[in-house]
Amino acid sequence: MRILIIPLLFFTTAFLLNFNSAIEIPENFQKSNHTNNWAVLVDTSRFWFNYRHVANVLSIYRSVKRLGIPDSQIILMISDDMACNPRNPRPATIFNNAHEQINVYGDDVEVDYRGYEVSVENFVRLLTGRVPPNTPRSKQLLTDEGSNILIYLTGHGGDGFLKFQDSEEVTSQELADALEQMWQKRRYNEIFFIIDTCQASSMYEKFYSPNILATASSLVGEDSLSHHVDSAIGVYIIDRYTYYVLEFLENVHPNSQRTMSEFLAVCPKSACLSTVGVRRDLFKRDPSKVPITDFFGSVRPVVITTDPIDIVDIPKRKKTVQNKTKVPEKRNYLPQFPMHLVQTT
Amino acid sequence: MTCLLLKFMVIITTVSNVLGDDFKEEIFIKPLPPTHLYSYFQFVTLVNSEKSFAHSHLSPRSLGEIISRFQVDELHLTLTEGQWRHKQWGYPVIDAAPGAELYAWFSQEVTDIDDQWRKLSATLSGLFCASLNFIDNFNTVTPQMALWPTGPVKGNTNVTSLLRYASLPREIVCTENLTPWKKLLPCESSRGFSALLNSRMIHNTNYHSIGVHVRNVCASKDCTETLLEIKQTVALVYDYKIINSYDWSFRKLFGQGLPGACPLSSASTIYVDITSNDTQPFKLTPPPDRIVLSQRGGSDTKLAVYDIKADGQMVNIGVKQDTKEKLQLTVPPPLHFNRYVLGYGKEFGGIVTDLVNNYWTAIDVVLLENAPWWLPIQLSSLRINGEAESKLVKSMFYSPGRSRQKPYHLELLIKLPPRSTTTITIDFEFVFLKWQEYPPDANHGFYIGSALISANLPTAKNYTSIPINGITYDSVINASKPWYPAVFRTNGAMVSLPTPDFSMPYNVICLACTVVALAFGPLHNICTKELVLKPVGTPVSLTQKLLNLFKRKKD
Amino acid sequence: MAILLKFFVAGLVRYWLIHLDYWQTIANRVEIATPLNSWKRLVEGVYLYDRNINPYDGDSFHESPIMLVFFHYLMKKVPYLLPLIFTVLDLLTAYLLYKTSKSFIRIFKESQEKHVSETADESKSMLLNDTQLDAASEYVLSVYLFNPYSVLNCAGMTTTVVQNLLVATSLWGASNGQRMLACVFVALATHQALYPVLLIVPIAILLADVNKGCNKCSYIRTLLVFVLCWGFLIYISAFIMDGSYQYVYNTYGFILTVPDLKPNIGLFWYFFTEMFEHFRLLFVCAFQINALALYVVPLTLRFKKEPVLLATVLIALSTIFRSYPCIGDVGFYLALLPMWKHLFTFMQQKFIVGCAFIITSALGPTVWHLWIYSGSANANFFFGVTLSFATAQIFLITDLLFAYIKREFTLKHGSSRQVDGKPAKLVLR
Repeated sequence: MRILIIPLLFFTTAFLLNFNSAIEIPENFQKSNHTNNWAVLVDTSRFWFNYRHVANVLSIYRSVKRLGIPDSQIILMISDDMACNPRNPRPATIFNNAHEQINVYGDDVEVDYRGYEVSVENFVRLLTGRVPPNTPRSKQLLTDEGSNILIYLTGHGGDGFLKFQDSEEVTSQELADALEQMWQKRRYNEIFFIIDTCQASSMYEKFYSPNILATASSLVGEDSLSHHVDSAIGVYIIDRYTYYVLEFLENVHPNSQRTMSEFLAVCPKSACLSTVGVRRDLFKRDPSKVPITDFFGSVRPVVITTDPIDIVDIPKRKKTVQNKTKVPEKRNYLPQFPMHLVQTT
Repeated sequence: MTCLLLKFMVIITTVSNVLGDDFKEEIFIKPLPPTHLYSYFQFVTLVNSEKSFAHSHLSPRSLGEIISRFQVDELHLTLTEGQWRHKQWGYPVIDAAPGAELYAWFSQEVTDIDDQWRKLSATLSGLFCASLNFIDNFNTVTPQMALWPTGPVKGNTNVTSLLRYASLPREIVCTENLTPWKKLLPCESSRGFSALLNSRMIHNTNYHSIGVHVRNVCASKDCTETLLEIKQTVALVYDYKIINSYDWSFRKLFGQGLPGACPLSSASTIYVDITSNDTQPFKLTPPPDRIVLSQRGGSDTKLAVYDIKADGQMVNIGVKQDTKEKLQLTVPPPLHFNRYVLGYGKEFGGIVTDLVNNYWTAIDVVLLENAPWWLPIQLSSLRINGEAESKLVKSMFYSPGRSRQKPYHLELLIKLPPRSTTTITIDFEFVFLKWQEYPPDANHGFYIGSALISANLPTAKNYTSIPINGITYDSVINASKPWYPAVFRTNGAMVSLPTPDFSMPYNVICLACTVVALAFGPLHNICTKELVLKPVGTPVSLTQKLLNLFKRKKD
Repeated sequence: MAILLKFFVAGLVRYWLIHLDYWQTIANRVEIATPLNSWKRLVEGVYLYDRNINPYDGDSFHESPIMLVFFHYLMKKVPYLLPLIFTVLDLLTAYLLYKTSKSFIRIFKESQEKHVSETADESKSMLLNDTQLDAASEYVLSVYLFNPYSVLNCAGMTTTVVQNLLVATSLWGASNGQRMLACVFVALATHQALYPVLLIVPIAILLADVNKGCNKCSYIRTLLVFVLCWGFLIYISAFIMDGSYQYVYNTYGFILTVPDLKPNIGLFWYFFTEMFEHFRLLFVCAFQINALALYVVPLTLRFKKEPVLLATVLIALSTIFRSYPCIGDVGFYLALLPMWKHLFTFMQQKFIVGCAFIITSALGPTVWHLWIYSGSANANFFFGVTLSFATAQIFLITDLLFAYIKREFTLKHGSSRQVDGKPAKLVLR
């Protein structure tokens, strides 16, 4: 069988509904050759007083989802349950600010790794793809060499490590090696790495794999600070860096022409109180020419082919030819109790 | 536009009906005087095609594929937050253990059931965003007497060996579990009764439980053909204090009115139990379509029935209480129970289960204690009303646990004498785990799962469950039977295990090895060297030694 | 008469303690009852066995099937006699130890006479006379009867009581040249707790010494009898369990792999609690080799002529380094020490060791209570105590050996510590 196909698809459905015209990529934007977008969003801290880290990670989750990355391509890891925590006065919500402007938790959220599942081992296994057998698809990072991956980490960290669940930590070297393994296995095209933690820039300093753009909320020796406290909840509810990132991302739309360099400058020292660190040397493109949707959205370049494509008819699976003379066996409902053991008098 | 869509939907409905898929949605609301309100949602999809899920119409394909892939005959999954209080609230339609609970019967063709079970739980964990992948052999039991398949089975099947049961009492339940659950429904959350399931409102309750129950049901009277029934349930218990008034309405409970039925459903019915109207009068608005009186097993129930149409009209059923000052005592149900942990310190303890039979005849119950491997129970310490050998026990099953491999599993078939309290105690010992086996919040405590109580109730008082051959809620009407089987879950418990010092591994390893070396060194010397006399100079005093030291330095 | 009185008093104390209200507390103490020997687990195992549930299916029972059947019989037939049986068994152990020490002293006397020609003249006075030697066995008896460790062990009704009896019987058999008896009982003890397997070496030497004649033939014969007995017991046990060897994992496997980390007086529990998982196997092997194999060959070569000392030291070392030691084991080897009363003058750390024993014995239960019940201490405290208890025991044993070689040296070379008229000191070279 020979058919001609002109693949004209790959837009997200939501996108198709909203806009009738295709997106035009501005001339000055450098071409990206990625074919799909993934996001790995990790909150590594447990316990109620780390509410803000969950708010951080959900802020990014909300944004990337809004910008078109489907839930199946977002790996969300949350160490503790804040939304339905008994201490949360407003159950099933997590707000980015004390005025309750944005419920970052939303009504439609899929957490892939939660609670005790968020461990260094699971995180590294996820990145490198060495997951145990029987792992469901939603818990796997099924990326390929055309994938742009956004990795966002938040939690408590120090110089050269990030704590997981307050009981173990991943070191910057381990993280760099995991990314290198990903590169060697052709598991990504480009990575945008964001980390919001104390001494955050120490986490990307050991990176040595190509095509990684990294940014951190603070430099080595600096603390990353939280934004403000909600007296009704009783804890700090979001970190400064992510607060401003969310503020910025709320104004980004799937067809916006914002660039990565704008994103990298999202939190000046006056707002963050810590210096935002950026590492560009591994990244081949110029961030000022990279649209932000290369990482935060799921906008893909369209390739139109006029060449005929051979589609070989897939051999039909052999039906197990069973003799359909199945004698209909009578079934019956069982008593829902071991009646044979009870003496009926 | 809407009209067109509706027509389209109606067409789909008829088409799917032709193909045999059938979807029904129901709500059952029952006031639990004096202060609570129980609402139970049930979405039933009946699928004709027995095996193939390649073409699914109304049934969720993702779930159907799991069922057929892992050859599951029957599956029950519940995710619950909170504890159902049987003594005050009576019995729910479907009981559920706090946390996650999963049990399934596999098809007879499955060779390695344990392997299949692990695969099933891992897959379901992906589907429902729950940590069901923590289910492994060490927390799985095969109940021998407590659980029976609710679907019809062929004559000579050993159903027990095909069953696996596990519960994760620590599991939290929140929006991320509700989201995928809603996506299994044909109307998702846009239309129909599921539109009421607003995450913010339903998580603000005393008890909420979402469940998926898959079983076979007889397609005909003679039961040679079966249909697959996929039942999705939600049980909520509201506290009037939370909604801030004794008058309730859909708007107060769910944050919005009901936007009509799901157009794909063949029946959308709401039942409100108005039996308590006699004692605590209230007014139902809007008036029900009909009122049904059900006489079942010695208890009369009045049900107000609403048939909801898919006309997109907002429905807001509500109740206005007439008098608020009247306080009423609730009569406890025929069987209720309590479970707690005994002991102090972190060395020895005991689990006590009190079973209270209020009824005037004896009640047979099966009690299933499922203690995790880190809580070894001693069967020799089992006491029933303080006696080691009790006549109340009709049958017993015990499978001792093994550390890191399988849990302790005890099942007792007990005849509870009329109007009595039976106390079952069993001792356990705390286990010291390896430091890497403790969870990150080791001092939070360790959860013990609920015990299962399977009862054969002689009366239908407080009994709300659907009879086994019924599918929709109307089958409870006048469904008198000789027995009313029910499976209940007791409350869970929590213990705090003794913990080591988590910061010590290097120190401990060094110190213990040093002590071993303390023995090795001298013994090595004794065995390999011999004693000799070695001349020494005149004994030098300490001051002299110090002086010598200085002298050397000067040099 | 005095001996009878001792037995009577000791028996009464034990019997009384078992009937005390605090008996539960005694029987559950971590220092007395380990997962291997506790009375509670024995009861559980027998209970399960009685109900046709294989006790080796689970993790609750780790005794050998022979013990299971033995106690099953006792608990079914004469449950009320059990306290008495335990008391009697322990008294019997004491009596056998008394008898053994008498035989040992006879052996000792013979060897002293044999070597009298090698003794330096000025050390002649150090040779032991009969009264000194006879007093030793009295001390052995008293120490076993009234040592609080042994008394509490018996009062806790642990299976270590039986274990001690088996070891004592085999020692007694060996000292009297009864090969069959010695081998059967050491095989029984090995079957129960594995570590007594070490004893076959001193027993073989003893038997060869006592029976005279071809040494090598004697060794081989002893070894053969032992292996046959042991194999037979393993087979019998499997026969009891309907041909299943599953029990091996729950007895020997349990002893060797240390899966239960409940604290005891040994070194294993905290070490393997805090061990990194991927090093666990390595260290389990290292520690078990240390307890089972490491010291046998060198000590045997060094103390070939003193099988009794070898036996004492091996029992002590295997007690210190075994995976689930209890104070009953400690009490047993402490009872053997008075036979070496004449070495005490050469020991340097008597005071330190004595104080350490007393302090750790008092501190252990205290910090245990603080950790487990009042929550004001943590595991490190109890670990510290067990660590110093082990250190004290190690000091005791190494000190005893040093004392022995010093005395040997003194006997040979005289007590003067001078070389060519200049003061000198003893050093190892």
